Amino acid sequence: MSAAGITATAARRSPDAAAPPATVGTAAPAPVVTALSRRKELVVRGLVKGFPARGPVLMGVDFALLHGQSVALIGANGTGKSTFLRCCLRLTEPDSGSVRLLDTELNGLGATALRRLRARVGFVFQRHNLVPRLSALSNVLHGAQARHAGPRYWLHGLAPQSMREAAMHCLDQVGLADLARQRADSLSGGQSQRVAIARMLMQEPELVFADEPVASLDPSAGEEVMELFIDLMRRRRTTLLFTSHNLAHTVTYADRIVGLRDGRVALDESAHRCDIDGLRHLYG
Amino acid sequence: MNRRIAVISTGCGIFMVDRAADPSALSRFDGLLPQRIAWPSPLRFVLYVAVAAFFIASIDGVDISLGELAGGVPSIGRMVGQMFPPDLHRIGPILLSLLETFQMAVVGTFFGVLFSLPLAVLAARSQTPHVIAYHVSRALISLFRTVPDLIWALVFVVAVGLGPFAGTLALMVDTMGFCGRFFAEAMEETDKGPQEALTALGATRLGKICCAVVPAALPSFVNTGLFSLEKATRASVVLGLVGAGGIGIELKVAMDLFNYDQAATMILCVFILVVAVEQASALLRRHII
Repeated sequence: MSAAGITATAARRSPDAAAPPATVGTAAPAPVVTALSRRKELVVRGLVKGFPARGPVLMGVDFALLHGQSVALIGANGTGKSTFLRCCLRLTEPDSGSVRLLDTELNGLGATALRRLRARVGFVFQRHNLVPRLSALSNVLHGAQARHAGPRYWLHGLAPQSMREAAMHCLDQVGLADLARQRADSLSGGQSQRVAIARMLMQEPELVFADEPVASLDPSAGEEVMELFIDLMRRRRTTLLFTSHNLAHTVTYADRIVGLRDGRVALDESAHRCDIDGLRHLYG
Repeated sequence: MNRRIAVISTGCGIFMVDRAADPSALSRFDGLLPQRIAWPSPLRFVLYVAVAAFFIASIDGVDISLGELAGGVPSIGRMVGQMFPPDLHRIGPILLSLLETFQMAVVGTFFGVLFSLPLAVLAARSQTPHVIAYHVSRALISLFRTVPDLIWALVFVVAVGLGPFAGTLALMVDTMGFCGRFFAEAMEETDKGPQEALTALGATRLGKICCAVVPAALPSFVNTGLFSLEKATRASVVLGLVGAGGIGIELKVAMDLFNYDQAATMILCVFILVVAVEQASALLRRHII
């Protein structure tokens, strides 16, 4: 889809299409008035994270994600999009700042409580991160470990029948029920990412993070997987925070776009007020 | 016109330089071009000299004598001559001893591999729950690996008496030392992606190990386990020499009584067993991996 086409699409979706496109550098709150009454599923305050080799990456990021929103996080390479998502689940420990996720403060959370909290949040990685030697069905079944522990949820051959059927249902939702027995390392990149999405569905998350979920796929497979992913999220009304370098995806699939630059939020705007050319300034 | 074009590849790309037009073009890379032979640092040079000196001293220390070797060749010839034809009169008891030897190898390897798995989890830097557990398990593995199986056999003969049980325990401990180290390294080398995906969805530590680490390291586990079985089959023959069961004691008695034809039967049986185990494990490797 061309940039002009995307702008037109965004304009068609927009109730206030006449409003001027957003400009980078003005971190105004999202003008979705109805959203203000919604529950905040993620609240980040003054998040700071640096790495010895890269220096400071996030330098005091403030962010809030409302229930039911679909938010795209954009920015040039190295601006800390992935680091931000990882800090929100404490897969990477932040240097300072606070993260409140699903009404739970992450700071000082014990290992078991953190594990239980993570179980409520789905995470789709840029690389599918499937276990290569196991079947697609076993990989999907691993999503059930968010709610159940023990050997019965390690392999589909050991799993209760209800769980096997639930995993099959998730595979069916991504159109891969017929490949349930196939080993993950024999699947194509697009199929693998679909299985990773099915694993996330199996988890039954309240909130989903996706870190450039189609960046490792070719454009055609990327479009297909992204459409499927967003469609599943919308049908389930799941809150979504995803990062992407594909600006067409951000204006098409997100309600709100947040841009990072120089370790801070440089843009926070309703998606229908953004156009691709305007967003490109974030990469300048 | 015959022009000399030099193609220069650098970290930044490939450049074509017309050396006829600019003969000094290559000199720009003089400082960057690695030396053909890098001279060692003084410290490294001293180390090389010390190693070479020790090697020369070692040759002197082991009393190498080509004359004695040449003089011993006829004795070897006489012994080999007495070995053939092999004596098959005691083939029944010999095969029973061989079976006991193989049983020691199989049982020792099985339990060795089994106990290696938790030990390897503790000894893998990426999986261990605590740094103390890491150091203790690493130390145990080093102890199991560095003490030879013959010494372990002597220890277990003292502990549980003569017989195959002592040999099986010795093989088990030796296998734990061998597999523990290689299993731990295989776990450390596995792809971290699937483990991180399971961490992100809230899986337990055991869940991550069993679902992501073990399946990824399985080919290496199978390979190492089968190699251990081959190693244990060879070692179990020798363990009999110290009374730890198996065909070794029969072989020692035959050699001590100069019954070289009986010894030849045993050596041939052992050879067939070891080759059979190696072939079977190669077949399993191809099938499983």
